[in-house]
Amino acid sequence: MKLDTRKLTRAAAIAAIYVASCLALAPISYGSIQVRVAEAMTLLPMIWPEAVPGLAIGALIANLLGPVGAVDVIFGTIATIIAALVTLKYKWKTTGYAAPIVLNGIIVGGYLPFVYGMPEVTLWGFNLTVEASMLAVAAGEAVAVLLLGIPLLNLLKKVGIERK
Amino acid sequence: MKMSSLAIGQYIPGSSPLHKMDPRSKILAMATVVTCLFLIKSGWGYLAMAAMLLAGILVSKIGLKFIIKSMRSLLVIMAFTFLLHVFMTEGTVIFKLGPLTATYEGMRQGALMVIRLVLLIIATSLVTLTTSPLTLTDGLEKLLKPLSAIGFPAHELAMMMTIALRFIPTLVEETDKIMKAQMARGADFSSGNLIKRAKAMLPVLIPLFVSAFRRADELALAMEARCYRGGKGRTRLRNLAFTLNDLLILPIVAASITVAVLA
Repeated sequence: MKLDTRKLTRAAAIAAIYVASCLALAPISYGSIQVRVAEAMTLLPMIWPEAVPGLAIGALIANLLGPVGAVDVIFGTIATIIAALVTLKYKWKTTGYAAPIVLNGIIVGGYLPFVYGMPEVTLWGFNLTVEASMLAVAAGEAVAVLLLGIPLLNLLKKVGIERK
Repeated sequence: MKMSSLAIGQYIPGSSPLHKMDPRSKILAMATVVTCLFLIKSGWGYLAMAAMLLAGILVSKIGLKFIIKSMRSLLVIMAFTFLLHVFMTEGTVIFKLGPLTATYEGMRQGALMVIRLVLLIIATSLVTLTTSPLTLTDGLEKLLKPLSAIGFPAHELAMMMTIALRFIPTLVEETDKIMKAQMARGADFSSGNLIKRAKAMLPVLIPLFVSAFRRADELALAMEARCYRGGKGRTRLRNLAFTLNDLLILPIVAASITVAVLA
């Protein structure tokens, strides 16, 4: 993707909106049981390719300001980049919509118990701590993407700022 | 909701050696300390790291209350982790609570894990509390610069980050304004469950996008009018330079690696 100045500033604007909405709703934006309203924006690469770096930087800054610190910054940002790239590649397809939910669930949900130092609780061969954390993150992500992300995408298209 | 009073980041200005250190040194030192914290196995190792981080807090002249403040949001998860260890580890039984048995080993392991989380937060907070987000961005750009040889857009990403940091306070204020405008039209942001409240943010996000994109397009125009052409030939008002202060990271890095290897 070639970045002209306008795409660069738009990506920065997307990053800023991401962080601003995380800060406005801080208590529910961090941790295992999180609903990041900002994650509704993970579908934006479908209409703007420059949203990929925008989301990456938004997640980077938001995590930098968050309580978990360095680990969240590195792995949380990587999860966001991978999910955004998959969404970009599979525009308007189920895979594209599911990518942020599944990938964030697995990556973020997977490392959070490790960072928190939770013990492994196994029951019938399942690692309960890790799996519960993955499900919790994915559920929060699903709420943001399905309930908020899809209407957001449709409304942005209706307003008509996507192609200008 | 009073959002306009919200400061961006946790940066507390100061003139301590830690404040004056080059951001690159701080990022590298933090990366080493965090990695070592995950490698340490014994209580003595954590004690040594705690002593070093405490020294860092004292040198930075940042009040303990700011450090503690950044931990408050994780209190619940810390308590949960501790209890999970106490009741889920097998070993010498201390007491029984219904079907649950608390063990000595669990208590020890739980305490160590909570201490590790606390130290992780201190290590990262020490960097974000003593470095302004803009300086941190400059440091990241310089550290990632070698990667531009393989096509990694280090300059562009750093520029986006700088612009985003400049936009955030404006947009937070804008969000506040839009919320008030929608409330005047009958919008309700404070009642209902989590899902209902999240959905109520839609009529805020759309105008926010429209206004942020207008600002972004204007900025792009202004940048091009001033002949912005990417990172090539860019000069800076303040150049990053290593000073004697940066030698401080040598003992930090050496000590943490020693502790990680020994303890």
